[in-house]
Amino acid sequence: MPGHERGDELFRMFSELDEAAFDERAPARVKSRIYSALIREQQETGPLESLRETRAAGHGLCIFEELVQIAPVGQKAKSPFFCWACHARLLAENLENAPIFWANCPYVAFQKR
Amino acid sequence: MERQAQIVTELRQDTTDDMKLVAEVLRKNRKATAEFVSRYTDSVYSYVRRRVMPRTEVAEDLVQEAFVAAWQSLKNYRGDASLRSWLLGIARHKVDDYYRKRLRTSEWPDSDDESVAEPSVTPLYEEQIDRALLNVKTQRVLACLPETYCLVLLWRYQEDRSAREMAQLTGKTEKAIERLLARAREHFKRRWNHAGT
Repeated sequence: MPGHERGDELFRMFSELDEAAFDERAPARVKSRIYSALIREQQETGPLESLRETRAAGHGLCIFEELVQIAPVGQKAKSPFFCWACHARLLAENLENAPIFWANCPYVAFQKR
Repeated sequence: MERQAQIVTELRQDTTDDMKLVAEVLRKNRKATAEFVSRYTDSVYSYVRRRVMPRTEVAEDLVQEAFVAAWQSLKNYRGDASLRSWLLGIARHKVDDYYRKRLRTSEWPDSDDESVAEPSVTPLYEEQIDRALLNVKTQRVLACLPETYCLVLLWRYQEDRSAREMAQLTGKTEKAIERLLARAREHFKRRWNHAGT
Protein backbone atom coordinates (compact mmCIF):
# COMPACT_ATOMS: atom_id res chain seq x y z
CA MET A 1 0.00 0.00 0.00
CA PRO A 2 1.66 3.25 -1.09
CA GLY A 3 2.33 5.76 1.67
CA HIS A 4 0.16 8.50 0.24
CA GLU A 5 -2.80 6.15 0.17
CA ARG A 6 -2.41 5.43 3.83
CA GLY A 7 -2.29 9.15 4.44
CA ASP A 8 -5.43 9.77 2.41
CA GLU A 9 -7.20 7.05 4.31
CA LEU A 10 -6.25 8.61 7.63
CA PHE A 11 -7.39 12.05 6.49
CA ARG A 12 -10.74 10.51 5.66
CA MET A 13 -11.01 8.62 8.93
CA PHE A 14 -10.01 11.57 11.06
CA SER A 15 -12.38 13.86 9.23
CA GLU A 16 -15.12 11.42 10.20
CA LEU A 17 -14.45 12.46 13.76
CA ASP A 18 -16.69 15.40 13.09
CA GLU A 19 -17.82 18.08 15.47
CA ALA A 20 -21.15 16.37 15.98
CA ALA A 21 -19.42 13.32 17.42
CA PHE A 22 -17.91 15.58 20.07
CA ASP A 23 -20.83 17.86 20.55
CA GLU A 24 -20.64 17.27 24.24
CA ARG A 25 -21.22 19.64 27.10
CA ALA A 26 -18.39 20.60 29.36
CA PRO A 27 -18.62 19.17 32.87
CA ALA A 28 -20.16 21.67 35.30
CA ARG A 29 -17.10 21.51 37.56
CA VAL A 30 -14.97 22.64 34.60
CA LYS A 31 -17.21 25.67 34.11
CA SER A 32 -17.02 26.39 37.82
CA ARG A 33 -13.23 26.25 37.81
CA ILE A 34 -13.00 28.44 34.74
CA TYR A 35 -15.30 30.99 36.33
CA SER A 36 -13.25 31.05 39.53
CA ALA A 37 -10.04 31.37 37.50
CA LEU A 38 -11.45 34.31 35.54
CA ILE A 39 -12.60 36.09 38.70
CA ARG A 40 -9.15 35.53 40.21
CA GLU A 41 -7.57 37.06 37.10
CA GLN A 42 -9.98 40.00 37.18
CA GLN A 43 -9.22 40.70 40.82
CA GLU A 44 -5.51 40.87 40.11
CA THR A 45 -6.00 44.19 38.37
CA GLY A 46 -8.39 45.76 40.87
CA PRO A 47 -11.81 45.21 42.42
CA LEU A 48 -14.76 43.68 40.63
CA GLU A 49 -17.69 45.84 39.64
CA SER A 50 -19.74 46.51 42.78
CA LEU A 51 -22.82 44.46 43.52
CA ARG A 52 -24.92 47.62 43.44
CA GLU A 53 -23.81 48.27 39.85
CA THR A 54 -24.21 44.60 39.04
CA ARG A 55 -27.81 44.71 40.15
CA ALA A 56 -28.36 48.01 38.34
CA ALA A 57 -27.18 46.29 35.15
CA GLY A 58 -30.06 43.85 35.53
CA HIS A 59 -28.35 40.87 37.14
CA GLY A 60 -29.83 39.05 40.10
CA LEU A 61 -27.87 38.61 43.31
CA CYS A 62 -27.75 35.45 45.39
CA ILE A 63 -29.20 35.39 48.88
CA PHE A 64 -25.85 36.04 50.55
CA GLU A 65 -25.05 38.96 48.28
CA GLU A 66 -28.52 40.38 48.97
CA LEU A 67 -28.06 40.03 52.73
CA VAL A 68 -24.80 41.93 52.66
CA GLN A 69 -26.48 44.73 50.70
CA ILE A 70 -28.81 45.46 53.62
CA ALA A 71 -26.11 45.11 56.25
CA PRO A 72 -25.00 48.35 57.97
CA VAL A 73 -21.52 48.30 56.42
CA GLY A 74 -19.75 50.57 53.94
CA GLN A 75 -20.03 50.09 50.17
CA LYS A 76 -16.50 48.71 49.96
CA ALA A 77 -17.38 45.88 52.32
CA LYS A 78 -20.44 45.04 50.26
CA SER A 79 -18.73 43.99 47.06
CA PRO A 80 -15.97 41.44 47.62
CA PHE A 81 -16.34 38.13 45.79
CA PHE A 82 -18.24 36.37 48.56
CA CYS A 83 -18.13 33.09 46.65
CA TRP A 84 -14.54 32.59 47.83
CA ALA A 85 -16.02 31.84 51.24
CA CYS A 86 -19.06 29.93 50.03
CA HIS A 87 -19.46 26.17 50.16
CA ALA A 88 -21.38 26.27 46.87
CA ARG A 89 -18.21 27.22 44.98
CA LEU A 90 -16.17 24.53 46.69
CA LEU A 91 -18.73 21.84 45.95
CA ALA A 92 -19.30 22.97 42.38
CA GLU A 93 -15.60 23.00 41.55
CA ASN A 94 -15.23 19.42 42.67
CA LEU A 95 -18.52 17.64 42.04
CA GLU A 96 -20.84 17.09 39.15
CA ASN A 97 -24.43 17.51 40.34
CA ALA A 98 -23.30 19.30 43.47
CA PRO A 99 -26.13 19.64 46.02
CA ILE A 100 -26.44 23.44 45.79
CA PHE A 101 -29.67 25.26 45.03
CA TRP A 102 -29.37 29.03 45.61
CA ALA A 103 -31.10 31.30 43.13
CA ASN A 104 -28.83 33.62 41.12
CA CYS A 105 -25.71 31.66 42.06
CA PRO A 106 -23.46 31.13 39.00
CA TYR A 107 -22.16 27.87 40.39
CA VAL A 108 -25.71 26.55 40.61
CA ALA A 109 -26.40 27.74 37.06
CA PHE A 110 -23.40 25.78 35.75
CA GLN A 111 -24.94 22.61 37.14
CA LYS A 112 -28.08 23.00 35.05
CA ARG A 113 -28.18 20.82 31.95
CA MET B 1 -33.77 36.60 -0.32
CA GLU B 2 -35.97 36.97 2.77
CA ARG B 3 -34.07 34.14 4.44
CA GLN B 4 -30.75 35.88 3.71
CA ALA B 5 -32.02 39.11 5.24
CA GLN B 6 -33.16 37.17 8.29
CA ILE B 7 -29.73 35.55 8.65
CA VAL B 8 -28.01 38.95 8.37
CA THR B 9 -30.33 40.38 11.03
CA GLU B 10 -29.64 37.44 13.33
CA LEU B 11 -25.89 37.79 12.86
CA ARG B 12 -26.07 41.48 13.68
CA GLN B 13 -28.09 40.68 16.78
CA ASP B 14 -25.53 38.05 17.85
CA THR B 15 -22.70 40.55 17.39
CA THR B 16 -24.58 43.17 19.40
CA ASP B 17 -25.16 40.63 22.18
CA ASP B 18 -21.49 39.62 22.07
CA MET B 19 -20.31 43.23 22.29
CA LYS B 20 -22.66 43.95 25.17
CA LEU B 21 -21.43 40.88 27.05
CA VAL B 22 -17.79 41.75 26.36
CA ALA B 23 -18.30 45.30 27.65
CA GLU B 24 -19.79 43.95 30.88
CA VAL B 25 -17.03 41.38 31.35
CA LEU B 26 -14.42 44.09 30.79
CA ARG B 27 -16.09 46.11 33.56
CA LYS B 28 -15.50 43.00 35.71
CA ASN B 29 -19.17 42.36 36.22
CA ARG B 30 -19.14 38.98 37.97
CA LYS B 31 -22.54 37.84 36.71
CA ALA B 32 -21.70 38.73 33.12
CA THR B 33 -18.45 36.82 33.52
CA ALA B 34 -20.50 33.82 34.61
CA GLU B 35 -22.72 34.28 31.56
CA PHE B 36 -19.62 34.40 29.36
CA VAL B 37 -18.44 31.07 30.81
CA SER B 38 -21.88 29.54 30.65
CA ARG B 39 -22.48 30.57 27.04
CA TYR B 40 -19.19 29.49 25.47
CA THR B 41 -17.52 26.77 27.53
CA ASP B 42 -19.40 23.93 25.82
CA SER B 43 -18.23 25.00 22.34
CA VAL B 44 -14.63 25.47 23.38
CA TYR B 45 -14.59 22.25 25.39
CA SER B 46 -16.05 20.28 22.50
CA TYR B 47 -13.46 21.73 20.11
CA VAL B 48 -10.49 21.06 22.39
CA ARG B 49 -11.66 17.65 23.56
CA ARG B 50 -11.82 16.40 20.01
CA ARG B 51 -8.24 17.47 19.42
CA VAL B 52 -6.59 16.02 22.50
CA MET B 53 -8.68 12.91 22.91
CA PRO B 54 -8.64 10.71 24.85
CA ARG B 55 -6.97 12.94 27.45
CA THR B 56 -9.94 14.55 29.17
CA GLU B 57 -7.88 16.16 31.93
CA VAL B 58 -5.69 17.83 29.31
CA ALA B 59 -8.80 19.16 27.56
CA GLU B 60 -10.05 20.63 30.83
CA ASP B 61 -6.76 22.41 31.52
CA LEU B 62 -6.50 23.75 27.96
CA VAL B 63 -10.05 25.09 28.02
CA GLN B 64 -9.32 26.94 31.23
CA GLU B 65 -6.09 28.33 29.77
CA ALA B 66 -8.00 29.46 26.68
CA PHE B 67 -10.54 31.37 28.77
CA VAL B 68 -7.86 33.04 30.88
CA ALA B 69 -6.02 34.04 27.69
CA ALA B 70 -9.31 35.32 26.29
CA TRP B 71 -9.82 37.51 29.35
CA GLN B 72 -6.29 38.87 29.00
CA SER B 73 -6.91 39.98 25.42
CA LEU B 74 -10.62 40.65 25.58
CA LYS B 75 -10.07 44.38 25.24
CA ASN B 76 -8.80 43.67 21.72
CA TYR B 77 -12.04 41.98 20.65
CA ARG B 78 -13.67 44.19 18.04
CA GLY B 79 -16.63 42.08 17.03
CA ASP B 80 -15.28 41.33 13.52
CA ALA B 81 -15.97 37.65 14.16
CA SER B 82 -18.46 36.15 16.57
CA LEU B 83 -17.22 35.80 20.12
CA ARG B 84 -17.49 32.03 19.72
CA SER B 85 -15.19 32.03 16.66
CA TRP B 86 -12.78 34.36 18.41
CA LEU B 87 -12.63 32.02 21.42
CA LEU B 88 -12.15 28.98 19.20
CA GLY B 89 -9.21 30.77 17.56
CA ILE B 90 -7.60 31.18 20.98
CA ALA B 91 -8.38 27.54 21.79
CA ARG B 92 -6.70 26.48 18.55
CA HIS B 93 -3.52 28.28 19.57
CA LYS B 94 -3.61 26.52 22.93
CA VAL B 95 -4.03 23.13 21.26
CA ASP B 96 -1.15 23.88 18.87
CA ASP B 97 1.04 24.89 21.80
CA TYR B 98 0.17 21.66 23.54
CA TYR B 99 1.05 19.50 20.50
CA ARG B 100 4.27 21.44 20.03
CA LYS B 101 5.39 21.16 23.65
CA ARG B 102 4.50 17.50 24.02
CA LEU B 103 6.18 16.45 20.79
CA ARG B 104 9.23 18.53 21.61
CA THR B 105 9.70 17.26 25.14
CA SER B 106 8.23 13.78 25.34
CA GLU B 107 10.32 10.73 24.69
CA TRP B 108 9.62 9.32 21.26
CA PRO B 109 8.84 5.60 21.14
CA ASP B 110 11.71 3.30 20.31
CA SER B 111 12.21 2.80 16.58
CA ASP B 112 12.56 -0.94 17.27
CA ASP B 113 8.78 -0.93 17.10
CA GLU B 114 9.14 -0.60 13.33
CA SER B 115 10.28 -4.21 13.07
CA VAL B 116 6.73 -5.56 13.02
CA ALA B 117 5.76 -6.47 9.51
CA GLU B 118 3.02 -4.59 7.74
CA PRO B 119 -0.07 -6.76 7.38
CA SER B 120 -0.33 -8.15 3.88
CA VAL B 121 -4.10 -8.55 3.98
CA THR B 122 -6.42 -5.73 3.00
CA PRO B 123 -6.75 -3.65 6.16
CA LEU B 124 -10.05 -3.97 7.90
CA TYR B 125 -10.38 -0.19 8.05
CA GLU B 126 -10.93 -0.12 4.33
CA GLU B 127 -14.16 -1.98 4.83
CA GLN B 128 -17.39 -0.09 4.91
CA ILE B 129 -18.59 0.37 8.46
CA ASP B 130 -21.09 2.56 10.07
CA ARG B 131 -19.87 6.11 10.61
CA ALA B 132 -20.69 6.22 14.31
CA LEU B 133 -18.89 2.93 14.89
CA LEU B 134 -15.95 4.25 12.93
CA ASN B 135 -15.75 7.28 15.20
CA VAL B 136 -15.89 5.19 18.33
CA LYS B 137 -13.31 2.76 17.03
CA THR B 138 -10.96 5.53 15.92
CA GLN B 139 -11.16 7.09 19.37
CA ARG B 140 -10.58 3.73 21.03
CA VAL B 141 -7.56 2.96 18.88
CA LEU B 142 -6.08 6.42 19.45
CA ALA B 143 -6.56 5.95 23.19
CA CYS B 144 -4.43 2.79 23.07
CA LEU B 145 -1.52 4.44 21.25
CA PRO B 146 1.47 5.99 23.00
CA GLU B 147 0.76 9.68 23.51
CA THR B 148 3.37 10.80 20.98
CA TYR B 149 1.81 8.70 18.23
CA CYS B 150 -1.67 9.88 19.08
CA LEU B 151 -0.66 13.54 19.05
CA VAL B 152 1.34 13.38 15.85
CA LEU B 153 -1.54 11.68 14.03
CA LEU B 154 -4.10 14.17 15.29
CA TRP B 155 -1.88 17.09 14.41
CA ARG B 156 -1.21 15.78 10.91
CA TYR B 157 -4.55 14.30 9.88
CA GLN B 158 -7.08 16.22 11.92
CA GLU B 159 -5.40 19.62 12.02
CA ASP B 160 -3.92 19.13 8.55
CA ARG B 161 -0.45 20.33 9.57
CA SER B 162 2.32 19.40 7.15
CA ALA B 163 5.41 17.54 8.32
CA ARG B 164 7.42 20.68 7.56
CA GLU B 165 5.20 22.86 9.76
CA MET B 166 5.33 20.30 12.55
CA ALA B 167 9.12 20.15 12.27
CA GLN B 168 9.39 23.93 12.51
CA LEU B 169 7.09 24.09 15.50
CA THR B 170 8.77 21.31 17.44
CA GLY B 171 12.37 22.05 16.53
CA LYS B 172 12.80 18.59 14.98
CA THR B 173 13.86 17.78 11.44
CA GLU B 174 11.26 17.12 8.78
CA LYS B 175 12.74 13.66 8.28
CA ALA B 176 12.33 12.89 12.00
CA ILE B 177 8.70 13.95 11.88
CA GLU B 178 8.08 11.83 8.78
CA ARG B 179 9.65 8.81 10.47
CA LEU B 180 7.55 9.40 13.56
CA LEU B 181 4.43 9.70 11.42
CA ALA B 182 5.25 6.48 9.60
CA ARG B 183 5.66 4.62 12.88
CA ALA B 184 2.48 6.18 14.27
CA ARG B 185 0.52 5.14 11.16
CA GLU B 186 1.89 1.65 11.43
CA HIS B 187 0.89 1.35 15.09
CA PHE B 188 -2.50 2.82 14.37
CA LYS B 189 -3.12 0.35 11.60
CA ARG B 190 -2.00 -2.64 13.65
CA ARG B 191 -4.14 -1.63 16.61
CA TRP B 192 -7.04 -0.98 14.26
CA ASN B 193 -6.82 -4.41 12.71
CA HIS B 194 -6.75 -6.06 16.10
CA ALA B 195 -9.42 -3.94 17.72
CA GLY B 196 -12.49 -5.48 16.10
CA THR B 197 -15.46 -3.22 15.52
